Parts: sequence; structure tokens; C-alpha cells
Amino acid sequence: MFHWLEKHPFFFAVGVFVVISFAGLVEILPNFAQASRPVIGTAPYSTLELAGRHVYIKNSCNACHSQLIRPFKAETDRYGHYSLSGEYAFDRPFLWGSKRTGPDLHRVGNYRTTDWHENHMKNPASVVPGSIMPGYPWMFTNEADVDTAFAEQLTVAQFFSVPYNKPVPLKDGSTKIVKMAGSVAEAHAMALEEAKAIAADMKDQDVKDAVANGKIPEIVALIAYLNSLK
Amino acid sequence: MNKLYLWGIIIVAAMLGFTYLSVGMSKGGLNGDIVNMLAVAGAVALVIITVFVVIKYVRQMQTDTAEGELADETWDNIGEYKNPVPFGWAIMFLGTIVWGMWYWVAGYPVNAYSQIGEYNEDVAAHDAKFNAQYASITGDRLVEMGESVFLAECKVCHGLAADGIDGKAANLNVRVEPKTVKWVIEHGSNNHILGSEMPMPDRNGLFNANTGALITDAEIEAVSKYVANGMSGEGADVFAGVCSSCHGADGKGMEYVAPNIAEFTPTLVTNVLNHGKKGAIGTMPAFARLNAKQKEAVGAYITSLSAK
Repeated sequence: MFHWLEKHPFFFAVGVFVVISFAGLVEILPNFAQASRPVIGTAPYSTLELAGRHVYIKNSCNACHSQLIRPFKAETDRYGHYSLSGEYAFDRPFLWGSKRTGPDLHRVGNYRTTDWHENHMKNPASVVPGSIMPGYPWMFTNEADVDTAFAEQLTVAQFFSVPYNKPVPLKDGSTKIVKMAGSVAEAHAMALEEAKAIAADMKDQDVKDAVANGKIPEIVALIAYLNSLK
Repeated sequence: MNKLYLWGIIIVAAMLGFTYLSVGMSKGGLNGDIVNMLAVAGAVALVIITVFVVIKYVRQMQTDTAEGELADETWDNIGEYKNPVPFGWAIMFLGTIVWGMWYWVAGYPVNAYSQIGEYNEDVAAHDAKFNAQYASITGDRLVEMGESVFLAECKVCHGLAADGIDGKAANLNVRVEPKTVKWVIEHGSNNHILGSEMPMPDRNGLFNANTGALITDAEIEAVSKYVANGMSGEGADVFAGVCSSCHGADGKGMEYVAPNIAEFTPTLVTNVLNHGKKGAIGTMPAFARLNAKQKEAVGAYITSLSAK
């Protein structure tokens, strides 16, 4: 066999490459495959949360806010447990961000609430004196794009096997099923149901009226998304 | 043979001359520059070694004759001697295999750097330092610590002055506000304020012992003001008839039954931090990630706000 290899330099080169990269392959690939699986407690985004994620991206929230808590005591004290790679399994694309003009938002759902976000998105300085974040009043009137969110759900469920309509394990040992609609009309109805629960905790009468009339303002979707970040 | 040495000496001299010309004659030259001098010394050594090693092998090629046993197999018509493996080389080869096994099973796994390991050590060190410095503080220092935690974690909702920013969150300068009492009576409450599940009924479960009937709107109004007013003013009779059986005649609560609604206590605040709260204004998330001493300190600070 070795004589054969020595007579065939191309295959010899391939063999050398395999031997040299072997250590890297056995260390990196299994670890990478393991780390990129969703961790226990990471569930796919619902339609409304996904629409809110699109609002987040559209308004470039990730330009000032990161979603990645590093394993430093100063960060975990402030933001909670450091981020794990599997927690981004359903993020396409991930929104790690590279600059913190504002605070990290990876677990903002743990320590901020719907009514706080409402006040804050309308006028940040009203709850955080000296904040340099601008207000986002148009989110209270613009409608969220449920169609695109539903299209994304269908796509990722089909091509990336994102577990919609399947039980997802949670940290307390129970399971949760994130439902995905079977049709566009159903998707709108499901998103509206979620939006009603959010709007019930809000104070802005225009937003409440819009939701009561079957519309979903962007702010409702965004808050649903922010509340899901845990 | 002599010709080789002659050529060697000529080449060495030529290269040294060239080196001297290119380095020594350039601006600044070798004067005082230790790096340049080292470089030139290195170049000189390399030239001399190279020339004489080459000469040695050229002579060997000229004079050596083949001897020893040739290997049977050839594939490109170049023969190979069956020489034994040099002893030192064999020792190093086997040694490397043994070392490789050790490194694979123990060397790397046990000694590898871990980011999370460093984080855990860092946290342990900080916690130890915190405990050494602050675990036993009491009184004013505890209140000061509570204030600093409050300013880091709580002020975004409750405001710098703990006044709740115009009703956006609870005003912590008073124990309760009338609207809070009213909301709790109307909707009931189950906020784990005692640290465990202990629901309070809504108005459909609150009887006034004095009248023998369910609590009325007027009575709710009166008792809300009474409680928010620090257990004084009108409404004392309603409180005595409806609330005191659980919250006590003085409103200071009973263990395992009802919380203190006359004043804040550190335990009560700690329970709210652990479990969060849902009430008249909205939802407060849990802040269980603060450590026990920090929660106690926040409790002491908030208690001190309304105690003045």
C-alpha cells in the first residue's frame, strides 16, 4: 500500500492532508455540531415574535444593541447567564451585534416588561434620564408584516427542520409547542391572538384600538419579540 | 581537494566583503548599532558553516563507495539500504508515541484552557471578596449598599427618586397607594409576597364581618384610603371588619397568612425580588439573580424610604 502511495503523488498528498487535519476534525466538528444544537429551553419564534424580529432588524436595533453576553462577571451580573451558541439555533441571521452603544438585549425579557417597553420606545428619556436613544413613535402606527414572518416560518420549518408544531423541551422539564399556521389567514388570526395578550398590558389607547380592530402595530410585535428574549 | 578549500576560502572572503560593503558602508554603518552587528555576525557564521559543510559533502560524494545490503523492493530503480534505525532516533520515535498517548488522554483534557473555567474562577474570587467585605454589614452601610443596587437595577422603572416616574411603576416612598389597594381588593392577588403560594381572594370573597355582607364599592374606597394613609383616618371599621382577620389589626400581617401592608420589611422586598409581581400598574419581573445580601440591602433601602 505504501509503495502504491509513493507511486501516486496525488493520492499521497490527499492522504497527508487527511492525516494532518485529523486532529482538527475530531476536535472541532463534533464540538461544533453539539454546540450549534438548540439548548434546552430554546424554542422557535412564534409568528408575532418573528414579525417583531423583522421590526428589530428593519430599525437597525442591532447597530447599537448586542445580543451576546460574554462570560465575564461584570456582564453576567448585569445581564444574566452568559450566552450559549445553541441559544441562537433559531436566529436567522443571529443578531450578536458588534457594538454596544446601548445595553445588551439577549435576556431583556427577564428584566423588562411590556409596559416599560411601551414607555421606553415612545420616549426613552422618560424612563431613563439622559438616554441618547431616539424615540420610535412610528412603531405605534405602522403595521407589522405578518405575511413575511409567516413566509419565513414556512421556509425554516421546511428547509432547516425548525420544530414548529412539535414539542420543544423546556428547562423545568415540561415541553412547549410553538404552533405554526396552515394558511396565511390562520397565521394572521394566531398573530392577532398573541397581539391581544400584549396589548392588554399596554396603555396606549390607539394601539389597543388598532388591535381590537384586527390590526397589529409594529410596537406590539416588537414587544412580543423583546419579551421572548430570555 | 585543495582546490575545493581554495574555492571555499575565496567564496567566504567574497561574501564577507560583500556583506561589509552593503552593511558597513551604508548610512550609519555598524557604528554602535547592536542589531546590525548581530545580523552581520550571524551572516558571517552562516556563510562559513555553509561553505565548509558543502565542501564536506562534495568530498564525500567524490570518495564514498556503496556498501551494505540493498532492500529487495524498488519502484523507481533507486536502491535503498537495509540500515538499522539509529538508536537515538528510535528512542525519540517511541518516546513521542508514548507522549502522544498521554497528551491525548490526560495532557490536553486535564490542562486545556477553558473560557468558562476562567469565568467560574473569576466569579468564585469575586464572591469570596464580596463575602469577606460585605457579608456582615448592617445598618446604614446596608442601606447604602441597597441604594447603589437600586440605582443599578431598579431605577429604570422606579426612577432615581423611587417615586415610580409618574405612575409608570410603584412609588416606593410609600408602602401602598390607594389605587393599588383598590386593585388588589377588586382583583385579588397571588404574588408570592410571603415567599410561597398564598392567594388573596378578590372582592367576591371578601366579607365584612361587621355588616355580614360582601365588601361594597364605598367600603373599598374608604379602606383603600385608610391603608394608603398609613393605617389612619376613616375606614378603620372596614379594615377591622374585612382585612384585619388576615393582615392583623395593625396591618402588619401574619406569618404564612398575609403580608405586612402597613410598612415595608426587607423580607417582603426580598420575596418580591425573587418572584416578581403583577398588580395595579403592571408586571414587575423577578430579580432573582441578585445575591442574598444584595436583596437584603435593597429591602433595607426601600424600608428606609418610607420609614422617614
